[in-house]
Amino acid sequence: MISFASFPVPSQNETQGMTRHHPDVEDDIDMDEGFEEGFHRLTSPGEPLTSSQAFMRGHGTYIDNDEVISSVAGTVERVNKLISVRAVRSRYNPEVGDLVVGRITEVQPRRWKVDANSRQDAVLMLSSVNLPGGVQRRKLESDELQMRTFFEEGDLLVAEVQAFFADGAMSLHTRSLRYGKLRNGQLVTVPPALIRRLKSHFLSLPCGVDLILGLNGYIWASKHVKQSEQEGEEAFDAEAVYSNKNDDIDDATRLAISRVSNIIRILAAHFIPLTDTLLLDAYEWAVEQEGDVKDLLQADIGDAMIATIAARD
Amino acid sequence: MSSRVEILNDGGYRSDGRRQYELRDIDIDLSQQGTADGCCTITHGLTQVLVTVFGPKEAKMRSQTLHDRAVINVEMNVLPFSTGERRRRARADRRILELAATIKSTFEPVVQTTLYPRSQIDIFVQVLQQDGGLLHACINATTLALISAGIPMTDFVCAVSGGVHSTSPLLDLTTLEENDLPHMTVAVMPRTGKVTLVALETRLHVDRFADIFRLAGDAGQALHKEMKRAVKSRATRLVGAMETGMKPPMGGADAFERDVVMEDKMSF
Amino acid sequence: MHKRAPAFCSAARPGASGFCTRCLFRRARMPRPASPSIPEKEFLYSSLKQSLRLDGRNLLEMRAPTLTFGPELGWVECALGKTRVIAQVDAKMVKPPPERPLEGIISIHSELSPMASSEYDSGRPSDEEVTITRMLDKVLRRSDVVDKESLCVLAGQRVWHLRLTIHCLADAGNMLDCACLAGVVALRHFRRPEVEVVGDEVTIHHPSERAPVPLSMHHTPYCLTFAYFPETSILPVLDPSHLEETLSAGLLSIALNAQRELCVVQKAGGVPLAPDEILRIVGIAVDKAKELDKTVEERLKEDWAGRTVEVR
Repeated sequence: MISFASFPVPSQNETQGMTRHHPDVEDDIDMDEGFEEGFHRLTSPGEPLTSSQAFMRGHGTYIDNDEVISSVAGTVERVNKLISVRAVRSRYNPEVGDLVVGRITEVQPRRWKVDANSRQDAVLMLSSVNLPGGVQRRKLESDELQMRTFFEEGDLLVAEVQAFFADGAMSLHTRSLRYGKLRNGQLVTVPPALIRRLKSHFLSLPCGVDLILGLNGYIWASKHVKQSEQEGEEAFDAEAVYSNKNDDIDDATRLAISRVSNIIRILAAHFIPLTDTLLLDAYEWAVEQEGDVKDLLQADIGDAMIATIAARD
Repeated sequence: MSSRVEILNDGGYRSDGRRQYELRDIDIDLSQQGTADGCCTITHGLTQVLVTVFGPKEAKMRSQTLHDRAVINVEMNVLPFSTGERRRRARADRRILELAATIKSTFEPVVQTTLYPRSQIDIFVQVLQQDGGLLHACINATTLALISAGIPMTDFVCAVSGGVHSTSPLLDLTTLEENDLPHMTVAVMPRTGKVTLVALETRLHVDRFADIFRLAGDAGQALHKEMKRAVKSRATRLVGAMETGMKPPMGGADAFERDVVMEDKMSF
Repeated sequence: MHKRAPAFCSAARPGASGFCTRCLFRRARMPRPASPSIPEKEFLYSSLKQSLRLDGRNLLEMRAPTLTFGPELGWVECALGKTRVIAQVDAKMVKPPPERPLEGIISIHSELSPMASSEYDSGRPSDEEVTITRMLDKVLRRSDVVDKESLCVLAGQRVWHLRLTIHCLADAGNMLDCACLAGVVALRHFRRPEVEVVGDEVTIHHPSERAPVPLSMHHTPYCLTFAYFPETSILPVLDPSHLEETLSAGLLSIALNAQRELCVVQKAGGVPLAPDEILRIVGIAVDKAKELDKTVEERLKEDWAGRTVEVR
């Protein structure tokens, strides 16, 4: 049967329940602030920002009829004469030099395709990885034939953005001893906006957990590896770098990794950017609670955690 | 199926107690769903649509990629329990394919696809409940889902359905009204007031057409305010959370005083 | 200034002559039809800016439809330039579905095979194909063209089932209008056999015994398609050719009858237009529909006059 009385569905916790009747109230929520630098102004698509004669348009804007108009919803940013809008939440926008964590999706002739949460899969050229037998040497045909022994589909790796192709796809490189295949841990995904640029994206937490914060929002939480062990001797140990075997991980470390991962998930769910102090505070709190690691993911415990660490600031 | 229910009574009320130009309650829910980049559940009265957007991302079908812009791919699914009579629709139902094609061609010129060459943007439309105005709910929800995914668009697209009862125009029809009245859906881009979509499927005199057409254009502007409010309040909340951990947002907060303070919760 | 555009260009199918790196590139990679080359595109746009069309028509001029009637009633071939469609109606008697015992059944079968144009694939229906079949359905069935109740012979027992088959033979642009025109003219042209009901007995009289009767029709809708171009300085074009269609940035299809009643208005996306512009186009469509109606009526009358139906 078709019901002919329209009842509003009861609002859930995150809804805007507002009725607007046709020509009724004409209220406007536009803001008339100027463009002070460092001041956040929010905008939404189609909203005129300023005249295009006085300003230049940056990302997230377009020009129509001598006006700079926003094309995404987010904060307006101004650097001198350049107006851009940063979307609150979007896919990862790569920049050269960024550290990213990615997953191999495809092995192609002389290159790997890597999913890095961006608009296109990134490319890792065979010439941009370290190969067994010396850091610098020529790529041989035999290397090409055994590409799958280095990385195969599904492998996770940490790399740096090297350059861009003409169509905007990024090219990665792993030519550092710190980069390469990831083992001994788990991947946590958060919105890329929550990862700030830090001095170092390799964090070593005192609880025996290493974190790699990829700027693309992929985070690798793994067992701590001693610095000396990782670097080995001066020579590059290909077998260790491209190994697919996890080391022995004891239960305490496993617990710590899961706890850190869950904390990251909660922080991401509350849209709070990750910092090492925040993580440590949260970790301390989580240990004090003496609950199971999985209890952290319950809404009330998560909220309590956020409340506590926010108060500590 | 003609009903015995009075569409518009002498007092000027419709069968569900609304006035001629009154829209139904609109609920916009922009909370995160799973791994989607953007999503939106919109409820127009008893019509409820969930749209999730994935992308821009690497195109799955290499043969479909375009070298100069992103491909938009729309999949639509009408859930069997969304209507009064439970019916399983084939995925290849022409009506649903047409709606999906309409949504696709509506958003192709609005989304700035040229910024993402060789990529793909997937839009999944799930119709959870239907009570008239299906197309307009789908379009509004898609607009908001694309915005929440941070995909650049030239403007909002706001759609409203309208009908005419003898000579009096009505807005936002329910299924009951749609069965009896000639009706159409109009989608406008609020900044320029231009129309991107007109869909009329029932017989209507040319003079009446102009009336509803203009009216629906105005209603689209009203709807735009509502949609913009939802987008901005989400942005305020997220930016606030990012800036100060948990403290209320700093900049631009006074402009949103009227907004309901919302629980900040996104479930994974 | 040319009055007519050079012939070589109007004859050229997109992609057939102009090779650009883009076309080659696309062609190598996928079966997607090659897009017209940049010079082709520029040529079309710049001539349209001067209100010239490549085939010499005015912007708002339709190609004159050619209607050819077959020996049977309800067989029509409609041609708009090189676009050709055959429509055929036949009727048989069936038992009506229990939910609608008093109404006849109309079904539309349309076929868009690769025969019409290499762009149509025989696999999953493409977006264009869905649009055309849905439009046909809306114009010819849902707008109540044929009085369905008049097709009822014996309530709940016997009704007429009309089958309209639309065959697209060649697509040189604006297939939709051509198919709609063919369909509606076929319905007008068709005559069903006379039936006699005595009690529960139904007798169908052969056309040679009693003159067949025309279908009772509520109205005759005509579909008119306008093409819009990305540049706003170019005015819309009625009845776009294939090249114009591929280079357009949006189509506005209006189906209406000579009584100024709109049946379908469809603008699914494409370039946004000002509301006044849409109303202006609707106004133009009203006049065009009246003209079209006149020609169709004339042709139908002419054909009927030429036929001798023997009645013994």
